[in-house]
This record gives sequence, C-alpha cells and structure tokens, in this order.
Amino acid sequence: MPYILNTDKDRQEMLKAIGVSSPEQLYSQLPQSIRLKQSLDLPRGLSEQQVKQTVESLAARNSTASQLNSFLGAGCYQHYLPAALNFIISQPAFVTAYTPYQPEISQGALQAIYEYQSYICRLTGMDVSNASLFDGASGLAEAALMALRVTARKKILVSSALHPQYRQTLRTYLRGFKFKICEIGVDKQGFTDIGQLRGNIDEDTACVIAQSPNFLGLIEDVAQLSAAAKAKNALLVLSCDGFSLAVLKEPAHFGVDIVCGDGQSLGGALNFGGPSFGFMAVKSDYLRQMPGRIVGRTEDKDGRPAYCLTLQAREQHIRREKATSNICSNQSLNAISAAVYLSLMGSQGLQDAAQACLFNARYLQKKMAGIAGVSFPFSGRFFHEFIWQAKDAVKILKKLYRKDIIAGLAVEKYYPQFNDCVLTCCTEVKSRQDMDDLAAQLEKALNG
Amino acid sequence: MSTVKFAKSHEWARVEGDAVVVGITDYAQKQLGDIVFVDLPKAGTALVRAGQFGTVESTKAASELYAPVSGSVVEINKDLPLNPQWVNEDPMGKGWMIKIKISKVGELSDLMDETVYKDFVAKEAH
Amino acid sequence: MDNQVIFEKGQRGRNNSYIAKPKIDYQGIPRDFLRDSLDLPCLGELEVVRHYAGLARKNFSVDTNFYPLGSCTMKYNPKINEYLSGLSGFCDIHPDQPQDSVQGALEVLFNLEQMLCEITGMKRFTFQPSSGAQGELTGMLMINKCHQANKSKRNKVIVPDSAHGTNPATAAMCGYEIVVVPSTADGLVDIEKLKREVEEPTAAIMLTNPNTLGLFEENILDIARIIHDKGGLLYYDGANFNPLLGITKISLMGFDVIHLNLHKTFSTPHGCGGPGAGAVGVSERLAEFLPAPVVVKNGGKYSFDYRVKNSIGRVRSFYGNFGVLVRAYAYLLRLGSEGLLAVAQNSVINANYIMASLKDIYQPCSARTCMHEVVFSCVKQKERGASALDIAKRLIDFDIHPPTMYFPMIVKEALMVEPTETESKDTLDYFIKCMRDIDKEIDADLAKLKDAPSSAAVKRVDDVKAARSPNLKW
Repeated sequence: MPYILNTDKDRQEMLKAIGVSSPEQLYSQLPQSIRLKQSLDLPRGLSEQQVKQTVESLAARNSTASQLNSFLGAGCYQHYLPAALNFIISQPAFVTAYTPYQPEISQGALQAIYEYQSYICRLTGMDVSNASLFDGASGLAEAALMALRVTARKKILVSSALHPQYRQTLRTYLRGFKFKICEIGVDKQGFTDIGQLRGNIDEDTACVIAQSPNFLGLIEDVAQLSAAAKAKNALLVLSCDGFSLAVLKEPAHFGVDIVCGDGQSLGGALNFGGPSFGFMAVKSDYLRQMPGRIVGRTEDKDGRPAYCLTLQAREQHIRREKATSNICSNQSLNAISAAVYLSLMGSQGLQDAAQACLFNARYLQKKMAGIAGVSFPFSGRFFHEFIWQAKDAVKILKKLYRKDIIAGLAVEKYYPQFNDCVLTCCTEVKSRQDMDDLAAQLEKALNG
Repeated sequence: MSTVKFAKSHEWARVEGDAVVVGITDYAQKQLGDIVFVDLPKAGTALVRAGQFGTVESTKAASELYAPVSGSVVEINKDLPLNPQWVNEDPMGKGWMIKIKISKVGELSDLMDETVYKDFVAKEAH
Repeated sequence: MDNQVIFEKGQRGRNNSYIAKPKIDYQGIPRDFLRDSLDLPCLGELEVVRHYAGLARKNFSVDTNFYPLGSCTMKYNPKINEYLSGLSGFCDIHPDQPQDSVQGALEVLFNLEQMLCEITGMKRFTFQPSSGAQGELTGMLMINKCHQANKSKRNKVIVPDSAHGTNPATAAMCGYEIVVVPSTADGLVDIEKLKREVEEPTAAIMLTNPNTLGLFEENILDIARIIHDKGGLLYYDGANFNPLLGITKISLMGFDVIHLNLHKTFSTPHGCGGPGAGAVGVSERLAEFLPAPVVVKNGGKYSFDYRVKNSIGRVRSFYGNFGVLVRAYAYLLRLGSEGLLAVAQNSVINANYIMASLKDIYQPCSARTCMHEVVFSCVKQKERGASALDIAKRLIDFDIHPPTMYFPMIVKEALMVEPTETESKDTLDYFIKCMRDIDKEIDADLAKLKDAPSSAAVKRVDDVKAARSPNLKW
C-alpha cells in the first residue's frame, strides 16, 4: 500500500500486543448500520507512474498565461520569479514542518516569519504585521471586523472601487452580525467618490475601506480619504498591492490605520488564484485586536535570541468564542515565500521590477492610444493596470483570444456604468514583442 | 484594618470610605500564570455589578475582569499596564487595578468575606 | 553569523539584477504619491540561499522527525504531489482566463469533488475555504442562511466541552451564542445533558467524530436524531476523519455539512502553518447555499456556474487553494479505495499499539478502544514532579516532536498522540521506549526533564517576556 511502511508481520505483532486478532475488532464501537458493506466506488489506486501521466495530461490541457500572451491582472499578477525562490521555499524543512507552536525546534520557521513581518512593516510603514491571513479578500473582511471591534461602532463605508470579490467576501463575513455596509460609488474619473463619502460618514462609522491602486488601476488620493475618515474618528482600512509599494508611498504616511491586501504579487505564481496569502499591518494601538498569529523575538533561558508565537491569548485555541478570529492555519509558507522573494530581489531589484511595470504599461497605453476606436475614460495616475474602452469590447476580446492573446478583463459585469471597458495589466514580464502584438491585433480587430 | 470582600469571579474589593479598591486574588493570578497584559477602563466609566470592566492576559489564558459592585471608576492603577507582573507579585497590594465609587452600598453584603472565599476556593480546586 | 536576522546581512550595492534594467517612467504619478526610499536589505543570491538553509537546519519537519501530534495528522507528504502541483500548466494559469483555456484545472476540481462525495457521502463540495477554520465558517454560514430561508429564528450553537477552539470561535463569528455540553466520565458527549440543552433556538451542533479524545461517539445516531427532531443541523469538523476512510461515510452518521482538512487527512503538507484547504461538503438540502461558483460538466466540457440559488456568497477571492487541491487529487488517484481503507486501518492499529504499550505507565483518558489517536493524562507523572510539558519537551532530546499538549481541556495534563498510518512499527517502538525511559528519568534525574530540551537550537523560550515586551519586527 502506498506510503504505509507497516508490513503484515508488523501488523500481526501490533494486533497481538493490543489483544485483538483483526483491525475489525478495533471498530467494534461503530454502529453496524453506518458501516460500509462494500468498498468505496473509486477507481483502483494507480501506480505513481500512472498518476504522473494522468495529472500531467490534465496540466497539459491548460494554456498558460505566457502561452496566451495574457494581460490579465485584477488582483492576480504575473511577475518574474527568480529561480532561487522555488529552490529555497521547496526545502522540506519548511514545506513539511508543522505550525511553530514548539519554539525550540521551530526557530527556522519562526525567524522566517518574524523577518516576513518586518518586511511587511517596511513596505507599508506600519508598526506591526501579523504572520498572514488566507488572501486579500478574507483579510479585508477580518480588517473590517477588527475596525468594528476597536471602535465599537456599527457601520462601515466601502468604496465600490474595491475589488468586487473582496466586497462580496466582506458581505459574507458580516452575515452573522447586524452591522451596516454602505457602498460608496465611483466618480466619473474612476476614483472613490469623495463627496459621497463625506455625505455618508457619521459618528457610527467604524471605518472607511478603500483600495489603492483600486480595481480600475487608479492610485487613490489616500490623504483625502484619510482626512475624511479622521473627521469622524473612523478608521481607514486600505487594501493595496504589496508589489506596488516598491515605488508608491507607504500607507502609514497617510495615517492609514489598517493596511491589508493580497501578497500574491510578492513572489507568488498565478496558481489559478490560490494559494497566495493575505497580509495585514496595523498601528501599534490596535495590536491586541489584530487577528492571526504573530511571531515575537525574545530570549531563551540562556539569554540566546529566540523567537516564539506570541500574544496567543487573542487566538481561538485560548480565547475560543471571544477570539479575535477563528483563524488557525494560515498561509505561512506563502508568506515566507514572499520574504524570500523580497530578500532575493532586494530594494534595487524590486524597484527595477516596479519601474519596468510602469514603463511597460505606459508604452502599451501610448501604442493603444494610436489606434482608432480606442479611448481612455480615466486620465488619472495609475500603476500597471489601466482601463480602455472600445465599441463591443467583449467581442473584440474574443477576436483577440482567437489569436492567442488575452487582452484583459471586461469590467462591465462589475461596473455596468463602464460598459465596453477593459482592464489591462502590463507587468515587467511583458516583452516589447508581446505588447506590439497586442496593439497590432487590436488594430486589426477594430479597424480590419 | 479595612474590610476586604470577595466575588465568585475572584476579584477582591477593599472598602475605602465610599469606594472600593479592586483587583484579582492570589488564587486567580496563580491560575492564570505569568500575567503579560492588563486592560483597564478609563476613569469615569460607569460599571454595573458583574459587568466586565477589563481583561487580564497571561501567555496561556485570558480572563475578563468583572466589577464586584456597581458604581463609577474614580481611579485606575496607571502604572499597572506597564508592569503586569505586579499582579503576580502582589495581587492585593501593588497589583490593584481600579477604584470604584460605590453606587449601591447594599451590594457589598452580597460579596463573600475572607473565610467564606477561602472555602469557596478550596471547593473549586476540586 | 548563523543567528543573524536577514536585515543584518547584505550590503548596499549588491543586486542580483534578475530583470533587465528598465527605462524609468513615472509619468503621470506626482511625487506626493511616490515613496522617498525603500529600506530593504541588498543581498546576493548566495547570501540568501545560505540564510534560509541555515534556518532550515533549525526546523523539525515530517521529512526529518516523527510528529506524534494529536489532531494534526502529520502523515508523510508524498513528493509526487509536490512535483505535480508545481507543473507550469497549474502554476502559470490566471483565474480569470477564458474557461476553455483551463479545462484541465476545471477537471481537477470536478473530479476531486466527485471523489470526496463518494468518500464522505455528501452531495456537493466547495473548495473555496483555505483552512479547516474557514471551512467551519463557510459551513456555519450556510446553516445560518438555511434557517433564515426557513424563517426559523435560531441563535444557539452547541459544542461539546472537548471541542477544538476553532468551533466556538467560528460560531461566534456567525453571531451565535455558544452552549457547551459536558462529556461523560467516559469521554463521550453526555446524551442526557444534551437532550436538555436542545430546544427551538438551537441552530446546530458542531461535532468531531472520533472526538478530540480519540474516541468514537457511538451514540452519534441518537445525537443526530435529537438535533434533527428539533429542526437543528449537524456540523462535522473533519479534523479526525483519518480512521474512518472506507469504514463509514460521514453522511451515514447524520451530518448535514462537513469540512475536511486536506492538509491533515489528505496528505498535503503543513508548510509551517499553511496553506491548507478546508473542503466543505453538504447534503442535498444545503447545496443551494454553497459559495459560488461551483464546477459543472456538460457534454465533456467543464465550466464555473455562478447560479447558486441562495449562495452565502464568497468566502475568499477566486476558487480556493488550487495548488493544495492538486496535491489532494493526486493522493486520491494513487491510493484508490483500497489504499484509503489501509490508511484508516493502519492509523487505528498504530494508535492502539501505542496505547497498549504505554497504558501501564501513562494513564489513557478512557478505557475504551481509541481510534487514530490516544490521549494520555500525565497526572501520575505530575504527582512525581513532571508535568505534561516537561515530558513533551524531553522528547525533543530524542528527536521526536512533542505530542499535542493540554488539549482537550477536559483532560488534566493531557498529551495527545496521533502516530498516523505512515509511521513504521520501528518508529513507534522507539517512541514507546523514549516515553518509558523519560518516565524513569522523573525519579532518577528530574533535571533532565526540567531543563529539556537541551539538544535543540535554543533552550526553553521566555514567552512571558515576548508577550510583556513585544518585539514583532526588526
């Protein structure tokens, strides 16, 4: 049997020591009525060789983002991943290790996570980070719940420029409570409607939630959002792209109270959307209300520097129903992977990659601007994603797909007011050829 | 010798004029282990008997703090949050937590005196 | 140098130059929106490789050590699964790609769902939840919506006093009041006390079976009847499902919604604490509340279907931890029905062998046959001066990861041992010998336990200082 080391002889000896003659006797407490009378209706186990062939052929039936010259972003981004990253993070000591509850034998994992926490604080400028949450969406929901706890208020304001899936997740997480969610619209320039925000915020607002760069690719005026929130003593929760912080101003600078987001862009492959991880960093005032594990640096009894999980009294295994969250397993390995990525890239490497994104996205936009029929509804500052508009955009995307190009994501289904609009992302992995091909095919598709 | 009374939730209350000084008992601090954090209310907070006024945390447990009597918080032990170990070292002295101005004097007689509390603890330990 | 933090390493000027030097273009981004500096270390690749290799040396893992961790099912993580989940066809696909470009991925999801339905008896699965706890949240939210749809006002959830902390934490996150039901001296849910607690406001009971004491709740059908009779639902915490593979189906026990921990029962690796996956399965009745999308097959073509009638909505972005799901799928292909039954039987044999071999010195929490894990109470050892913690820490000096300590809370000085089916008798005999030797050490040389571990990278860590004076970043 695969992976089982016991032989029949071993089993015989063990059954004898237990005092039974068959494993069946060990199941005697189960009611007969629930016992399966026949084996599971599953195919016979395959050999490893057959498993490899079967699953490899399934993988081969997928076309990768590179094979398809994809310009998709929308919360999941293609970045160049140094070869050493996979090599380092695949070490069995990290992959097959358990949660570091026993610090003496988990110093490797604990230090790696402490370093990850430190990296997140440096990128965001915030005081303290946790050891990761599941993803950007659920992390955002946890941030909202945290703001509601901290302020003891009952209402949250959410920008519609926040990723639609994050907004959906937020609503799901708040289902069990009687909190009010008020959505703030997007203005004609593609930003959070600050006038509507100011009109809707009041003394019962726990927090304002926004994203920057937002779902439409635009860099929000976080200072303005912060001022609006502070005017009513509400917290500002900002979801952001960790990678973009290589060049964009630290959220802490604007007085953001809780920073969160999806860490996929920091060293994660596309992975069909998962696993990635959610990061969360907060002001030190809110430390004890922050969900998730946290690693702290201390000493062992001989005075050596040592790391351990700390402030566990917030967590489910101690606090149970009064815990800050029910989270137990998180996305440790992915968070450590982000730290490895940042270590390999270094500040210069990361800035270079971000600048390459800025350059490429602007190069592509300029080329597209030269195509008749393409317009740009928003003129504001963007990072590496932008919205363009063309008549029958969905049909155009299909035409391009038949040429093995995925030009972007049609956003109508999320924003009916922006019909015929497409969100296109251009990172450092796109070559000049890739971008020229898109422009050429788009020209053809629109103008024959 | 001022009167000290005890609540079932292991807070003590020492009468000082029209107020009580409140903390947790030696039994409670032993159960919790090394205290790492104490969360106290602001002065002026109104309290109801058996209502939560704060939390105390150790590395392996967290516990709510309950007001032994109704009233309002007139003073808190400001230096305690920075020195949580005082709760372990001297729970009924340096580790005091808040001072409540009593609003319902009758509630004092509902608390246990020292001998009754000692019995109560002995039973609970089993 | 071996103990330095990564921020103490590196030097300005070091740069691995992984991508070509870009032409900078900040056009359109005003200075106010750009950062002034980025303070990250500048490390050469060799430095980074050595740094993490050094950390790896200071970490126990299943690949290096035996982990008798109760409730965690630390079984061997097959390497073929690592290879397959790393294929470019799985790693380099974007979740928003046109569906006909990811038919292989959709087929993995579809097939995995079919297999888990057969294994558990449930009718449909969602793979969005990224962990057991998130699976619990998903399941409980579905229960919540189901009652709401029936206009049934229920605000209480029952958990046994032996429950894992995530259960009440999850119920609280759904706005429920928690009612705790005690266990009998035997370690099972007290049926009489349960009957008294179940009333109209009871939304659900959350159970794991076998329970956290490693014992099979033999009255499960009665429990199910009691809850269902009052219109409540049953939630199954699948953390302990390992011994039941191929033996029974969860649906037969009366459960309405379940979660499986793919990183426990289904061999995906723990990764220092994640990522895992909490596949959630439901009965026919609850299928309409599943998170959307679900995967459907029509004439050989797979697609995502967002039309889930009364969906609770999303619990995260995209489709869940796909990379973890690929590993679980490969595992099931390899094992097949026979392999799964062997997993269950060997897990129960291994745990009972440990119980039989240690029960003369360490007190099992119950005289009943255990399932895949055995809980010992170390009260007799405590009387002689050694706590469960001391014994657990001393095991480290024998290269064994400590068992789960002080859980479940209803057992004093608890040590929970789950060997799993992938460990050999030789390893178990070694563990048994160590436990017996340590017991002798209590009288012969207690200091060895009190000072343990002495062979690890660090000695016992001052976690009080860590909490009193938090140092959470460099």
